[in-house]
Amino acid sequence: MDGYLGSYATLGILLLVAGAFFAVAYTANRLLRTNAPSAAKSTTYECGLDPAGGDWAQAQIRYYVYAFLYALFAVESVFLFPWATVFDALGMITVAEMGVFVAVLALGLLYAWRKGVLSWTTA
Amino acid sequence: MNPALTGVLADGGVTTGEAVTFWILAPIALAGAIGMVLLRNAVHSALSLVLTMLSLGVFYVLQAGPFIGMVQIIVYTGAIMMLFLFVIMLVGRNTRDSLIEVLRGQRVAAILLGIGFAMLLGTGLARGIGSIPAVGLAEANVNGNVEGIAKLLFTRYIFAFEVTSALLITAAVGAMILAHVEKKPGEKMDQKVLSRARFEKGNYPGPKAGPGVFATSDSVATPALLPDGTFTERSVSKVVPARELTIAEARPKAVNGSKEYGAIK
Amino acid sequence: MNDIQLPPIDYAALLPMLIVFGLACVGILAEAFVPRKHRFAVQATLTLAALIAGLVTVIINRDLEVTTIGGAVTIDGAGLFLQGIILVLGIVAFGLIAERRLERGGAFVANAAHAADSDGDKKQLNEAGATEIFPLTLFAIAGMMLFCVSGDLLTMFVALEVFSLPLYLMCGLARRRRLLSQESALKYFLLGAFASAFFLYGVALIYGYAGSVQLVAIKQSVLDSDKSGVLLAAGLALLAIGLLFKAAAVPFHVWTPDVYQGAPTPITALMAACVKAAAFGGLLRVFNVAFETTSWDWRPVITAVAMATMIVGSILAVTQTDIKRLLAYSSIANAGYLLVGVVSLGGAVGSSMFYLVAYGFSVLAAFGMVTLVRDADGEATHLSRWAGLGKGSPLFSAMFTIIMLGFAGIPLTSGFSSKFALFSSAWDANQSALVIVGVLSSVVLAFPYLKVVVLLWLNPPGDETPTVSVPGYLTRAVVGVGVLATIVLGVAPSWLLDMVNSAGTFLAK
Repeated sequence: MDGYLGSYATLGILLLVAGAFFAVAYTANRLLRTNAPSAAKSTTYECGLDPAGGDWAQAQIRYYVYAFLYALFAVESVFLFPWATVFDALGMITVAEMGVFVAVLALGLLYAWRKGVLSWTTA
Repeated sequence: MNPALTGVLADGGVTTGEAVTFWILAPIALAGAIGMVLLRNAVHSALSLVLTMLSLGVFYVLQAGPFIGMVQIIVYTGAIMMLFLFVIMLVGRNTRDSLIEVLRGQRVAAILLGIGFAMLLGTGLARGIGSIPAVGLAEANVNGNVEGIAKLLFTRYIFAFEVTSALLITAAVGAMILAHVEKKPGEKMDQKVLSRARFEKGNYPGPKAGPGVFATSDSVATPALLPDGTFTERSVSKVVPARELTIAEARPKAVNGSKEYGAIK
Repeated sequence: MNDIQLPPIDYAALLPMLIVFGLACVGILAEAFVPRKHRFAVQATLTLAALIAGLVTVIINRDLEVTTIGGAVTIDGAGLFLQGIILVLGIVAFGLIAERRLERGGAFVANAAHAADSDGDKKQLNEAGATEIFPLTLFAIAGMMLFCVSGDLLTMFVALEVFSLPLYLMCGLARRRRLLSQESALKYFLLGAFASAFFLYGVALIYGYAGSVQLVAIKQSVLDSDKSGVLLAAGLALLAIGLLFKAAAVPFHVWTPDVYQGAPTPITALMAACVKAAAFGGLLRVFNVAFETTSWDWRPVITAVAMATMIVGSILAVTQTDIKRLLAYSSIANAGYLLVGVVSLGGAVGSSMFYLVAYGFSVLAAFGMVTLVRDADGEATHLSRWAGLGKGSPLFSAMFTIIMLGFAGIPLTSGFSSKFALFSSAWDANQSALVIVGVLSSVVLAFPYLKVVVLLWLNPPGDETPTVSVPGYLTRAVVGVGVLATIVLGVAPSWLLDMVNSAGTFLAK
């Protein structure tokens, strides 16, 4: 369990063990419990009218902007990791480089804020 | 940093661990890709794409590129796939492809050309790089993979990196142009205006429907919508109108902004 | 660890791009903070200032020859000239984008988020158009400028995306016929994303071959490498697909008519003039710097593409009944002529750039005049509606006739001098087959142009003939400049030819 792939192999084995634990637990549950299905048990337990149609509801388009801003800043934060490793070698220059990058992206956030994208209640 | 990281693949060979992982994950990645094209439900399609992307992430890690592997998982399977699902929820999970071909034979031609292209590229690459050992990996990862990337990104490719921010901000502004209606100063409704509007003639003052419900009211007199957009009469109680409401009030209420009952097809 | 060093950066050489990028960011800031009623004035001023400042700095840099940021950007004579072309044509296209007198609020929709033909959309019909269009234009132009001077394929890819993304967006922002506009944006976006993927795949394969993405290093490794040529050939093929898509060459042209027709006409003009210049700037640089020594491999393929582009573009132009689609197919055919310049390599770089200038001015004027023929529903682009316009609007029709004659390559217009320069340099480069196909296809292509001229003057005006709007001063300036350039570059082209030839070629070190 050493070398480059070795450390990932440990992770992989942990993953397998976790999966096996899950499978064993549920199989044991299934084997040990009593099982007597009937039609009445699978109907909805709810007073009032029977539900009509599917369970799907269309999402509001404005959720999309939040999702999009999240994706944007996920991309930005990904660049921060390599930046952190060279930051001490190059010093202030990389601070400026990253500063420009983050500032331009922050401009997008500023734009969103001023346009009222971030406040929910003005709709 | 991690000397082990460089040693394993320095000769360009493939270790057993790598081969085993590849042969386990490659079919899964392919199955995910095929599933994405073939599955009829868009959500299932997106989820099988996630499977492919996760497998690709592991492949990158296997090939001594842990950074790009993690980026694949964080950005693609995380953020980008979330956007995919948002779009699917916007457009409608039940929206299916129409099977009518506008251009005749397009589907067959696309499949044939796609397979031909893949085979051409596959055989070409196999011939071109099949026998060449990988070189330069050890030098590239000498201080660790992340630092190797940082070294290039923040020196030689710094301009491309900075310009990427222009790309991202264009995308952000574009998303907001297409998805957000800016309110003009006078348009903002305060509580008073809103409550006036609520009790105006022709509006049903009862509680509004919960978010996500495809109706403007959850009055019992409002009929439920079937998936195809038509009303289901069964959902309107026959008892309520006769006992409590006038005939006008008992009329099923408008749904989704339309003034007339039944206006939606 | 401590061997990391920032390569020297020549800020003076980058200044034109930095100005345009920087002021585009300021434009976003202005969009956020300037009150709504001043926004248009502020944004328009800012955009024009950025373009002019960029042009001035390019002119100041005119003798610069430098490779900076470790080879990521190569500023050379041809690159600077291409940047200059893009900026000049961008300034002219700006006139169309900022025009608000032809239609209340301009050619762009106020709130693109309102669904087409919804209640909200009907209410905003007379509202002022979105001013985000200005920073987006600046981002696009800055991306195009970088595209022409990229020293490596990675920077080139980022630049390609930077100029494409704003264009995809702007294509969908038309005020009228919004569904058509959105459809065009979607088509352009999907096919463009596909082309970008091809480009990227090609870059990866070329990296596999050369061990570098720098154009100069690729050239060097072609000379020394003992690796299998399959990687290089496959990589070059995929890379070329990405580039030829932007240039609208057959068979990667299918998006062009739909996008040109659906996009707001000022954006169509921007695409036809500036994107053409940028795409061919990139093509010329890649083929002249990185792949000059492998020309035996790619020349037959690109020659075939060029012939197909000229033939398909000119023949399909004959059948068109919509003026915007006609101009789209004519732009495809012109891409074919420009590809002749690409195939001819070094000797034809100057005449290709001359062609880009001549075509750019004419096409801007043509689209500028398309915006003027209007009825109650906006622009009347169907050719049948143009019949007999010469009776009511002789000045307009005369100007349009000049542009059409220019496109047709009649002597004493820029169309003739540019085609002559291009074909003669191609002839010198022994591309006689291409020249013959080029001359024959331009004869075919003259037919639809002359058909429009006949339609304008000789057909009787119908009941439905729309009026020619009295243009605002901006459109008037654009059309005037375009027509003037068409005539001047036709009558006295020598000064510009001297200029393009003294601009030199691409720096390959």
